[in-house]
Amino acid sequence: MKAQKQLFRFMNYQNRRQHSGPVVITGLRPGVPPVSSPAIFVTSTKLGCEAGRQMEYLAAIRVPAMRRLIQVSDGVSVHLKKDLIDKLLYRTTMGLRVGGVVYCLVALYVAAQPSNK
Amino acid sequence: MAHQAHAYHMVDPSPWPLTGAVAALLMTSGLAIWMHFHTMTLMTLGMILLLLTMYQWWRDIIREGTFQGHHTPPVQKGLRYGMILFITSEVFFFLGFFWAFYHSSLAPTPELGGCWPPTGITTLDPFEVPLLNTAVLLASGVTVTWAHHSIMEGLRKQAIQSLALTILLGFYFTFLQGMEYYEAPFTIADGVYGSTFFVATGFHGLHVIIGSTFLAVCLLRQVQYHFTSEHHFGFEAAAWYWHFVDVVWLFLYISIYWWGS
Repeated sequence: MKAQKQLFRFMNYQNRRQHSGPVVITGLRPGVPPVSSPAIFVTSTKLGCEAGRQMEYLAAIRVPAMRRLIQVSDGVSVHLKKDLIDKLLYRTTMGLRVGGVVYCLVALYVAAQPSNK
Repeated sequence: MAHQAHAYHMVDPSPWPLTGAVAALLMTSGLAIWMHFHTMTLMTLGMILLLLTMYQWWRDIIREGTFQGHHTPPVQKGLRYGMILFITSEVFFFLGFFWAFYHSSLAPTPELGGCWPPTGITTLDPFEVPLLNTAVLLASGVTVTWAHHSIMEGLRKQAIQSLALTILLGFYFTFLQGMEYYEAPFTIADGVYGSTFFVATGFHGLHVIIGSTFLAVCLLRQVQYHFTSEHHFGFEAAAWYWHFVDVVWLFLYISIYWWGS
């Protein structure tokens, strides 16, 4: 039953998401109001300070900050969005690429020369 | 602000496909140069470039999906098709090696002694380390499914623990297989038996390492809160790949280790 439900969920993922409202769980026993299932990031949904500490297990939540940083609409491509480190990696990669192509062509040219035996 | 009247993802111009292609050029040419001139520089350069390309390209995909929100349902559907097609191509890759094994083992030539395993080959006992390896991979299939359900149900701690356990089991398999390779009474140079054994199991081992790395990246992302209970396709793709690796091992075990011994 559960496997069937999961297969249905996998195959109809797109259809489910096309509904305008939140996902509604039906089939509950009578008297229980249907509720939408929110995306769950952490185990607890409590808003107290104690729950706040409990919620951050192993690492702090940095996704919202990263979203603000990466979503800045400044015309910069996604591979250079974080400025310094991205530029450094990009330039290193480009340097290796250009140098590598030149080295490769030279090496293949030398290798193609007939050996004087 | 992005202004588009559709749900698809128009990707920013990216340098990584070109760097990946150059890396492939350097690695292949470097392999030829290594074989003829005994210098590994070009090939090593190609491998470094490949690692840089993979890191930056997949980093950008994570930025586009998790931080920019470009992975809408239609986009995700395309990613699912892509992963399924990639795994299908890998299945065909392994099919070739199984074909080679069965070609040689179903009709062994007189040069081999007319029998399989060939005369002079001491095979590995399928009920020792290979059976343990089978149990390890099957258990890792259970733990990765546990991790998936934990993610879907929002159980963060369990998801991290089960995913870490899956990766540890993957490393344990790799360690055990490495020990088997070291202790094996035959080598890759021992005729067609050695060739088929080490090429098939060797490529499988490489895929285990790739799968373990993919899962490790998913573990890092899970710790960093990238996955939600509704949207965690990166993990699903890693889990599919891991199940594929597991199934290939089962075929290897039945064909080469058990039937072929």
